Amino acid sequence: MNIGLLGQYVMNGVMLGMMYALVAVGFSLFFGVLDVIQFSHGDVVTGGAFAGLAVYLAFSRAVESPILLVMLTLVGAAASMALLGVAIARGLVLPLRSAPALNTLLLTLMAGTVLRESIRLFFPNGSQPQRFPPLLGAGAIGLGSFTLRVDNLLLLASGGLLIGGLHLFITRSRLGLAIRAVAQDEETARTSGIPFRSVVLLTFAIGSALAAFAGVMHGLYYNEINFAMGLLLGVIGFSAAVLGGLGNVYGAILGGFLFAGLQTIGAVALPLASAYKDVFAFAVVILLMAWRPTGLIGERASERV
Amino acid sequence: MEGRSGLVGRLAAIGLVAATMIGAIAFLSIESDRGILLLLLAISIGAFAAGRVGILRPLLQRALGHRATIGVSAWISTLVLCGVFREDHFSLFLIGRVILITLACLGLHLEFGAAGVVNFASAAFFGVGGYTAAVLSAHTRIPHLLVLVAGGVASALIGSLLLLPLLRTRGHYAALITIAFGLLFRTFVEVNDSLGGPQGLKLGGLQILRFQFNDELAVGPLHASFYFNYVLLASALLALAFVLVQRLEASWLGLALDAIRLDEIGAATFGFEIARWKILAFTLGNFLIGVAGALSAFMVGFLAPNNFTFPESLTLVSIVLLGGIGNPWGLALAAFLVVLLPEKLQILQEYRYLLYATLVILILRFRPSGLIPRPMRRYFGQPA
Amino acid sequence: MPIKSSGARWMALAALAVGTFVAPVFAKDTVKIAFIGPLTGGNSAIGIGGRNSADLAVRLRNADSKSRYHYELVVLDDECKPDAGVQVATKAGADKSIVAGVTHYCSVVAVATVDTYHKLGLPTVVWGAVLPDITYGHKFPEIHRVNGTMINQNETAANFMFQQGYRTWSVIHDTTDYGKGHNKYFSENVSKLGGRIVGTFGVTADQQDFTAELTQIKSQKPQALYFGGLTPIGVRIRQQMDKLGLEAQFQGTSGILSDDFIRGLGPLAEGSLAFREGAPVEKLPGGKFFGEKYAEQKYTGAPEAYGPFAFASAELLIEVIERTGPDRKKVIAELGKVNNQDSIVGKITFDDHGQNTVAVITKYVVQDGKWVPWEDSEYSNGKRKLRGK
Repeated sequence: MNIGLLGQYVMNGVMLGMMYALVAVGFSLFFGVLDVIQFSHGDVVTGGAFAGLAVYLAFSRAVESPILLVMLTLVGAAASMALLGVAIARGLVLPLRSAPALNTLLLTLMAGTVLRESIRLFFPNGSQPQRFPPLLGAGAIGLGSFTLRVDNLLLLASGGLLIGGLHLFITRSRLGLAIRAVAQDEETARTSGIPFRSVVLLTFAIGSALAAFAGVMHGLYYNEINFAMGLLLGVIGFSAAVLGGLGNVYGAILGGFLFAGLQTIGAVALPLASAYKDVFAFAVVILLMAWRPTGLIGERASERV
Repeated sequence: MEGRSGLVGRLAAIGLVAATMIGAIAFLSIESDRGILLLLLAISIGAFAAGRVGILRPLLQRALGHRATIGVSAWISTLVLCGVFREDHFSLFLIGRVILITLACLGLHLEFGAAGVVNFASAAFFGVGGYTAAVLSAHTRIPHLLVLVAGGVASALIGSLLLLPLLRTRGHYAALITIAFGLLFRTFVEVNDSLGGPQGLKLGGLQILRFQFNDELAVGPLHASFYFNYVLLASALLALAFVLVQRLEASWLGLALDAIRLDEIGAATFGFEIARWKILAFTLGNFLIGVAGALSAFMVGFLAPNNFTFPESLTLVSIVLLGGIGNPWGLALAAFLVVLLPEKLQILQEYRYLLYATLVILILRFRPSGLIPRPMRRYFGQPA
Repeated sequence: MPIKSSGARWMALAALAVGTFVAPVFAKDTVKIAFIGPLTGGNSAIGIGGRNSADLAVRLRNADSKSRYHYELVVLDDECKPDAGVQVATKAGADKSIVAGVTHYCSVVAVATVDTYHKLGLPTVVWGAVLPDITYGHKFPEIHRVNGTMINQNETAANFMFQQGYRTWSVIHDTTDYGKGHNKYFSENVSKLGGRIVGTFGVTADQQDFTAELTQIKSQKPQALYFGGLTPIGVRIRQQMDKLGLEAQFQGTSGILSDDFIRGLGPLAEGSLAFREGAPVEKLPGGKFFGEKYAEQKYTGAPEAYGPFAFASAELLIEVIERTGPDRKKVIAELGKVNNQDSIVGKITFDDHGQNTVAVITKYVVQDGKWVPWEDSEYSNGKRKLRGK
């Protein structure tokens, strides 16, 4: 296999890994603060992509500069999804905190379905794939048999910055400290004066904004979005978060790249058609769960009897 | 105290079942959208009024105490329903679908409602039964009745592959395993050409001894659509499954499953072998789902990977939730509504997933015990 | 009170007489015909175009006072998925008031529902699916088809490409019988002419990411990329080809001949090739008539590539029902006898498998955001050039 081919696969794998990591981080954050799996998260990714598209369509005539358009798209997507995340937290997740975890899982699964179907039904021509504008330009650098596209580089760079920013936020800022405190022990955090509700809502906002970014990224990478894209992304993001240990943000990032790696290996190294890559990746996840039930890095959790 | 309260209870049971049957006949006969909406309105008003006046709840309670009577009258009313629609292909087809989905949900209810083992791949197990039936009936000479059983066994076997990871995990981790499996199954069947690929597989009609199920049924001057045969077999299977599940629940096995669902750690400290009961519930549940899938494949004559997607699994789970976890009767009613409403109200076809999801959200949020709540387990006497 | 005056009595009798003549005109029986196509999902533009065209046929006939019956079109959506297709096929077949059906654009669905229509005895005329097996894979008298099959399409395609100077291809096809059929017939024709297929890849009909396939194709360096599949993944493949810097010429089949393909790609669609049986609408015998009447009705959306065939199918069924009455068995018998029946797409004759022969294959190329017949384009006279040579 020549270098160019290899390079292409690596590039693709890293892009996918970045997207999965962004989604997985959300799952871990939510689980950390509230011990819930917010299953509509995958569909929030779709929501972000569509919201971004809508913002773009609204502003594309008025605004000339592509940089400004990209910014507007991202901000629009992130803001709207942050609000949606907060709404889901307030209306569905927080009130059911004391109910069995299964109910919340089901509730959020259904909420995801509502979101997905609403996009399909109410977005004009929603049931068809929508073209996402190539906002980052079409520049490419040819390195022999390997084409390095400028927009891919930009996406990778911004994804990396975002994750780096998140890391700094969680470890260095006061709010980040509050989030970590709540994730570790709710009661102690409350008695220390941390406003629990606000922190939870903020966490949901952050996680959903990240998901929106992943959605826009998906649109920019594939130049296409469709209403069902969040389903698979959500399950993959959840798998990645679990692989890395729920509640552990760094584990989630690792899990995201690991899953992308599995898919790439499945597509390239196996003698079967590339369509089997999902089968392969999910089978490995199931096996890993059998071997290490609480994820590779492990969850720090205790259970009240 | 049997005597008078027993008689009232039995009459209540028969009455409620008869009313449901009449409602079902009306539902299936009415063609226009407006008619259906009027019917639904009338039923809701009636139920609401009855609830207000205060006769609905006690009637239900009384009726639920006489499970045998409900069972027999339900069986008879299903036969009557089939008889009324004997010439109508599509209505019989729908009835058949409802019965088979109820059968599958009964299996799901065992896993989920009884033992609390969450299974988000129910559509995949339905598919395993279907594909087993398709492959066996096309390539072997195994009698079809055994093929149906084989469908169930295949489902149970494949389910047992998941048991190791399932038993070692809990809660959301277990959910992930079944979700991943569901997606894996669908992708696998779609990509794999030997199982038909995205084109799916076709099946010939079911044949038991000399009797071809795909032939029209003719008894003297009476003719019936060939779907009648399938519906008859399906309702027989459902009745068997119902009896099985009810016996199970009433027995100490059911008590064990309840204990595990409600509080796993507590049950463990009392000496219940969690693993054994979960295995039982999961395997038996998948068996039922597999059998339903096999018969459904024969009835429709066709299956494709798209029938067994994650939203389909969620629909089955919604039915169990809407019907009330742990309540087999609510299940049947929920299955009836979920399958038939979008067929009859054409406007709903587009919106059906949205509708189910919203309903389930509302129920989980405001009425977690479902449409017909399950009464407490009762061992000694009737309520005062 | 008895009618006393004779004048009143005469008036009553006259009213009765007039009524007996007038009443039948208002009391025509309604006959239902089903239309089944992909009304939602990635191929919905074509499905809706077909539906509008069939609807047009029904409307035109209903406006004709000399018709024996009043026709009603029952529209059903098969979502281009075989399971949904079988479900609606069962519904249409089981409904005794539906006499016949104009069915299917997606071959995947059409091939799955053949048995259902046979089981339930519903006569159908296919309007857009091109897989040969749909009519040739069985001997069911219920199934007929007005449009051609993919055999001719691929023969012409191979010949044309050879003439243009292409010798090497890589093939991407979807794994349904449709894609596999295209691959089979095209590959056969290419080998007959002496060309070479350097690589073949099967993909799922809803695959998102083609990096694996396209990267390998890039290393194979073909002159053209043959795509056997439908618009949704056609758009994705063309897009990802560009992202990876793959220079080959994109060659599709009737499956990408839709406005959605161009809408999805924007300027990238320029220069893509496709082939379809039947002449372009304007050059059809009844094309002008169809175009005018279609525009009159102000439908949202064009008739698209197979609208004329849908119209012709509906027209044909209506003609037959006018002759035989709303009896399914009689309609099936009469359809078997169809020979040189006039229609807007030319003369229709069904062979012993219910298949109509469509001789002409049109070559299309995308020019400035539209599908243009090759002969009318600037590519044929050399002003613009195809890629990959």
